[in-house]
Amino acid sequence: MHTILIVDDSPTIRRMVRGSLATLPDTTFVEAVSGLQAIEALAVGPVRMVILDLNMPDMHGLDVLRFVRSHSHYRDVPVLVLTTRGDAASRDAVMQAGASSYMTKPFVPAALASAVSDLLAAARTPSTPAPSSRT
Amino acid sequence: MSEPPIDLVASFMDDYFAESEEHLASVRRSLLVLEPYIDGGDLPSSTVEELFRSFHSLKGISAMVELRAAERLAHEMETCLGAIRDRRVVLTSPAYDALVEGTNLLDHVVAARRTGDAIPAIEQQIARMSSAFAAAAADLRLASGVKAAGARPETRWKVTFTPSPELVARGVKVDTVRSRLSDIGRIESVSPSVTAGGGIAFDFVVAAPDDKALRALSGDGIVFELMPADPAGSIGDMSALAPRAIDAAPVEANFVRVDLSRLDDLMRLVGDLVVSRARLEAGLLRVERFLPSAEWRRLQQEAESIERQLRDLREGVMRVRLVPVAKIFRRMPFVVRDLARDSDKRVQLETFGQATEIDKFLIERMMDPILHLVRNAVSHGIETPEERAAAGKRPEGTIRLTASTIGESVTLEITDDGRGMDAAAIARRGRAAGIDMPPGELDPRALLDVICAPGFSTRDEADRVSGRGVGMSVVRETVHELGGTLHVDTAVGRGTTFRAVLPLTLAITDALIVHVGDRTFAVPQSAVREVAEVDTQALRAIENNELMTHRGAAVPVIRLSQLFALNAAPLSRMHVLVIGTGQAAVGILVDRISGQREIVVKTLRDPLVKVAGVSGATELGDGRLVLILDVGGLTRSLRHRGPRIREAV
Amino acid sequence: MRPYILFSVAGTTYGVKSDLVRHMEMIEQVTSVPNAPGFIEGVVYSRGQVVPVLNLRVRFGFERVARDLRARLLVVDVGGRLLGLLADDAREFVSIPETSIRPPSEAIGGITGNYIDGVATLGDRIVLILNLDHVVDAIPTVAA
Repeated sequence: MHTILIVDDSPTIRRMVRGSLATLPDTTFVEAVSGLQAIEALAVGPVRMVILDLNMPDMHGLDVLRFVRSHSHYRDVPVLVLTTRGDAASRDAVMQAGASSYMTKPFVPAALASAVSDLLAAARTPSTPAPSSRT
Repeated sequence: MSEPPIDLVASFMDDYFAESEEHLASVRRSLLVLEPYIDGGDLPSSTVEELFRSFHSLKGISAMVELRAAERLAHEMETCLGAIRDRRVVLTSPAYDALVEGTNLLDHVVAARRTGDAIPAIEQQIARMSSAFAAAAADLRLASGVKAAGARPETRWKVTFTPSPELVARGVKVDTVRSRLSDIGRIESVSPSVTAGGGIAFDFVVAAPDDKALRALSGDGIVFELMPADPAGSIGDMSALAPRAIDAAPVEANFVRVDLSRLDDLMRLVGDLVVSRARLEAGLLRVERFLPSAEWRRLQQEAESIERQLRDLREGVMRVRLVPVAKIFRRMPFVVRDLARDSDKRVQLETFGQATEIDKFLIERMMDPILHLVRNAVSHGIETPEERAAAGKRPEGTIRLTASTIGESVTLEITDDGRGMDAAAIARRGRAAGIDMPPGELDPRALLDVICAPGFSTRDEADRVSGRGVGMSVVRETVHELGGTLHVDTAVGRGTTFRAVLPLTLAITDALIVHVGDRTFAVPQSAVREVAEVDTQALRAIENNELMTHRGAAVPVIRLSQLFALNAAPLSRMHVLVIGTGQAAVGILVDRISGQREIVVKTLRDPLVKVAGVSGATELGDGRLVLILDVGGLTRSLRHRGPRIREAV
Repeated sequence: MRPYILFSVAGTTYGVKSDLVRHMEMIEQVTSVPNAPGFIEGVVYSRGQVVPVLNLRVRFGFERVARDLRARLLVVDVGGRLLGLLADDAREFVSIPETSIRPPSEAIGGITGNYIDGVATLGDRIVLILNLDHVVDAIPTVAA
C-alpha cells in the first residue's frame, strides 16, 4: 500500500489530482494544504511519494523541497512538483532544489498518472517516519 | 489501468465554482480594506499579499478547468497586484477602480460558465487595467510604502513543537499549535528543523508578554525557551519565509462545506421517511383489532413520536440550507460606490442584520431584486449634495439595508433618506402610460401597483441595469413568487423604504414534468417508484381496464388523458409512472416525461378548484401555471380494484 | 358615497365595491382544472398567487365566448379567499351614493337574480350591484 501526499492549497486541484490518480493500484492519499502541514505529514508518515504545489500561504514549495532533501531520512522520497510556471529558468530552479520530476498546471490527467507511476516504480525503499526525539 | 479516462473538468466544475466563489469573496473583502488607502498611506502588506494569492489561485484553478478568459483575467490582476506589492505602482483611484471592475468581470465570466451563457469579452478590461496601472507608476520618492510587520522590542520565545503519530491521533497538529500560539501572542516566524535524533520539529518564534500561557501549553510535544533580546530589533532567521501573514487562523474552523445536491439527497431521504411513516400508520390502523388495546396504544404512541421527530428532522435539514444575508449585502458597497461616483452624489451605506439567515434558494432569487432596489435608491432616491444642502440635509445621503426575522418570516428593508416619491407625479406618469388606477390620491398599495406595472419603467431606470431586464415589476413578481409581499413607505423630501417580507422556508419539492396532449403537469418525485417506457400495443385490455407487464407482473395502468378528459392523439410509445409497489402497483400513462425540476408548491385551497387528483400548482418560470398531481388520489380507486383485475388475468 | 368598479358581462353593467377588488389585469394564460365546475375557467398565476378564475358569463347562464383584448380579470378578496372574476371588460371607477341603490325587483329573475344585491341608477344607466358571496359560493345557487 503506497501513501501519496498531495500538497496544494486549492481544494479543487487536490481533488483533481486524486481523481487523476484514482486508477493507480494499492494507493492511498493524504492531503496537506500548506508547507508546514506537508512536513508534518512526512514526519508522521509513512509517505511513498509527494506531489507538491509551489505557491502556498505559509512556506514556499521550494523551501519545503529543500528541507525535505536536507533530511537524511527523506532525501530519497520522490517529489513531483506541480507548478504554473513553465519557463526554463523556473524548471531549472525546481530541479536544482531537488525535485524528482516536474509538471505544469494545467495538467493532463493521464500524463500525471503516468509520471507518478514511473516515479513509484523507479524509487527505492519507501520512507518510514523518522525517529522522533523525546524530551 | 483498466478504467476509462475521467473527464476531470466536468467532474470538478462544482468544486471550481465553490472555490472561485470563496476567492472572489476574499478579494472583495480585501479591496474594501484597501479603499481608504487610495492615493496615500502605507498599504497593509497582509491584505496586498492576500489579494495577490487570491488572484494567483484563481488563475491556477481556472487554467485547470480550461476557462481561458478567467485564467487570463486573473493573471492580469495577479500581475497588477504584484506591481503593488513590489511598490512599482501607487494605488491611485483609477487603478483601484480597475481592480474592482476586473473583479466584477471575473465574477461574470465564472457565472457565465456556470449558466452556460456566452462568456463576456475581457480584452477591453485588460487594456483598461494595463493603462491604469501604467499611469500609476510610482515615483520612488513618493511611493506609498507597503507596511511590513515591524519588529517591536518585546519578549520573544522560541517554541518547539515535535509532531508524532500519537499527537496527531489526539488532534494535536502543527496547525492547532499555531492557532493556540497566535491566541497567546504574535507569531513572528515558523520554520521546520531537524532534531538531534534525526526527527522533524517546528520552531516558532512568538512574541508574548510572559510565559504563563506558554507554560500551560507545554507538554503535548511543546517545549519553549526565552530568546535573547536583539538590540537591532531585527527578526531572527527568516530564510525559510517571506514576510507573509502567518498568524492567520486556519480556514477550516467550525464549518463544513456542503454540496447542495447532498442536502437535496438528504431532503429526499426525509421525504421517503415521511412516506414510510404514513404507511406504518396505515398498517397500524389495519392491525388495531388484532391487538390488545394497551399494546396497540403503545405502538401508536411510538408512531406519533416518530412523526414528531421526523418533523424536527425535516426542519433541521431545511435549516442547513440557510445562509447569512451577508452574501447579498456584501456586494452592495461596490454598487453604491460606483453609482454614486457616476452621478456625483455622496452616499453612505449602512447594513444591519447581516447574520440573519435565509434559505439559499431565496438568496439566489433575491440577489438581483435587491441590487435593483439599491441602484434605484442611489439613482432616483438620493439627491445631489447641492440639492440636499438646499433642503437642509447633510450632503451625504444614507442608504440602510436591514434584514431581520420575526417568527416564520424574514424581512429585508432598503431605506434611503432621499427625495421620496411624489404620489401625484407618479399618478400622472402612470395615467400617461395608460396604467389602470383608482381615482384620487394613491395610497401606498396603489402607489406600489403603479410603479410595478410593466408599462411604468422609464428609460433612465434601465440605464445602469446590466441588461438582464430587472425592473420594479420583476422585483415584485419575484417577491410574490417566493410567497412574500412587497411594501413601500415614502414621504416627499424625507425618503423611501421598500420592504420585502418573505417566508423563512419554502415548500420546495422535486417533480417530474409530464405531458399529455398539449397539457403539462408536475408529479412529485417522491410519489413515483419508477418510470418506464411502454409500447401501447403491448397493453392488454381486461373489462374496462388496461394492463401492462412490468417486472414480470401484470400492473393496471390508467391513461392520464382519460382521467382528465383531455384530447390526446394515440401514440405507439408512451411513458408510464409507476406508483406503489408489489400488489398495489399501478401505472399512469402519459405521452412523455420531459425532465425533473425543483418546484415551489402552491396548494390549491379554494373549494372551487379542489378536485380529485390535483393537489396544487406551480409556475415553471414562464408565467404559466402547471398543475401538480396528487397521484395517490388519482390512483386510489384503481388500486382498490387492482388485485381483482390481476386475478382476472 | 362609496367607490365602485364597473364592468360588463354580456352587455349588462355590474358594479362591485372597489375595496373588495385587489387589482385588475388583462388575462393571458389560464390553466384549466379538470373536473372543476363548469363556470370555473381554471387558475392563473397572478402576483405570485394561484387564483381561481370564474367565468362570469357562464356563471350568469350565458354561453362562453372567445376572450378578446378587452376582457379583464378582477381579482377580488371575498372573506379571505382570493378569486378572479372574468369580465368582458372593466374600465370605470365611479362613486355611487347609497341612496341610488335599490333592492332588486322581482323583474330581475333568472340566474342573475341570485347574485345581485341591488340595482343602481346612474343617470340613464342601470348598474347591477353584485353580491360577491353568492357569486363565489362553491355550492352553485339554483336558478329561481
